[in-house]
Amino acid sequence: MRTYEVLFILSPQVPEEETASLITDFKRVAESTGAKLTNEEAWGRRRLAYPIQKFTEGNYHLFVFDSDGSLSELDRRMRNSDRILRHMIVRTDLDHKRAEKLAKRNPKKERVRPAPAFPASPEQQVPEAGPAAVEGE
Amino acid sequence: MATQMRRSGPGEGRQGQQGGPGGQQGGKKKFFYRRKRVCKFCVEKIEYIDFKDVKTLQQFIPERGKILPRRISGTCALHQRKLQNAIKRARIAALLPFATD
Repeated sequence: MRTYEVLFILSPQVPEEETASLITDFKRVAESTGAKLTNEEAWGRRRLAYPIQKFTEGNYHLFVFDSDGSLSELDRRMRNSDRILRHMIVRTDLDHKRAEKLAKRNPKKERVRPAPAFPASPEQQVPEAGPAAVEGE
Repeated sequence: MATQMRRSGPGEGRQGQQGGPGGQQGGKKKFFYRRKRVCKFCVEKIEYIDFKDVKTLQQFIPERGKILPRRISGTCALHQRKLQNAIKRARIAALLPFATD
């Protein structure tokens, strides 16, 4: 099972009723190819960091899907739709898995690290304080 | 974390060995005090850097809109790579600028 995040920006010119129908349309397209919607976020209107098709604002929307297949049909539809300024489909399950592994490993390494640091520092400071003081004078 | 220590810059490595802020060196000259930089993601234990999390990404974007280099931010190699990908994704989604003047 793969997890995909689908972020897309709807044109600010699209009226509100149409945005709702567009969003449900896209959802249906993805679900017809076997994807399961696990999370959905409507960010609403946001300023774009740079103008896209001369618009400075956009209506952001996010889907999170669990799917066995690819979302190529959704990708194609989104690319062809003139109501969408930009869309991005990102596979995230692998990165999340790696992050979980790292999170488990980290506490071990931290236990190892301070152990040599403490006995080492006084030994180094004691002999080095002598010559440094001499040089200063 | 071990690799991060080894790869760190020469100034930071010396500071780390000394432990103290004075930086008394046996034969070498005394450099100006450099605060020890630590990887923000290692400290806060953020393993997955999300491209949608604009607030954290913005800390690594100076005014010009470029990605802050590792030698300045102190991010470890692993997290810098992930941060880089996240920033690039955020740029495509128009959450962050490619360049600002």
